[in-house]
Amino acid sequence: MNPKRCAACKYLRRRCPKDCIFAPYFPPNDPAKFACIHRIYGAGNVSKMLQQLPDQTRAEAVESLCFEAKCRVDDPVYGCVGIIHLLQTQIQNAQNELAKTQAEVAVAQTKLSQTQNSDF
Amino acid sequence: MAGPGSSPCASCKLLRRRCAKDCIFAPYFPPDDPHKFAIVHKVFGASNVSKMLQELPVHQRADAVNSLVFEANARVRDPVYGCVGAISYLQNQVSQLQMQLAVAQAEILCIQMQNEPTLQSHHQVLELDQEHKALLLQNNNNNINNCSNNNNTNNNLGYAMSSGQFNSNFASPSSIMQMQMQMQMQDPLKQESLWT
Repeated sequence: MNPKRCAACKYLRRRCPKDCIFAPYFPPNDPAKFACIHRIYGAGNVSKMLQQLPDQTRAEAVESLCFEAKCRVDDPVYGCVGIIHLLQTQIQNAQNELAKTQAEVAVAQTKLSQTQNSDF
Repeated sequence: MAGPGSSPCASCKLLRRRCAKDCIFAPYFPPDDPHKFAIVHKVFGASNVSKMLQELPVHQRADAVNSLVFEANARVRDPVYGCVGAISYLQNQVSQLQMQLAVAQAEILCIQMQNEPTLQSHHQVLELDQEHKALLLQNNNNNINNCSNNNNTNNNLGYAMSSGQFNSNFASPSSIMQMQMQMQMQDPLKQESLWT
């Protein structure tokens, strides 16, 4: 066996060919990365997805797949959709707070101009 | 088959197999929506979905299926970033809103600072004679003009930035992962369904 197998081929216990589609993105020093992605998506699905992408976008695709897989392992019910929901709630709260603060600014500006007018 | 009169669920139809009475997919993939299972199967694979559902209590499986369908749709729409693209966009929105909020809060402070000298001098003026009133009002107006001319926007932003009220970092995948860990520590995960 080639001692320089990528993490994917090590995990799958197979020979790592020169043109292995996983090798550039799953170095042998990080076995957990492929294990996580394999658990959620499966090697075959990841391979198909990468094959359908141009070379220059594959690294980003692998990173986003790893992130989503990790989210799913951490939260088996909602995965990264839980994060999306959390962010949407934060946005709603921030918008409400902003509207309230801007109303306070308007009131304060009105009071200030009234005070300035009464001084004159 | 699922029953003498009922048709197989969408997953068993796609997988061309007998739909057992206790088919794990049947409650969540009705036969009238074949696309739902097709997209989940395309991204995750039927056996992975089956394993994931088996590891969950029954009352959480519907939510899990809905989130998997959502993620699968996002991945098909954006094969490179999937849901991470949406997370990045939303995080940018949060940052921008926090910035606007900080500016508005700084604006209130500035207005309050302008008000205070006016309020104090207003009380004092009532107690003084006319000559002293005129002198105090003149000084007060000079102070207000200085505050207004002091390039308010820059001062407000400077105040907001120094008080650390907002984070202007735009998301990269690694920073999104760090953000996720922070959010999970600050906000306990929801108890109720996201889909109600």
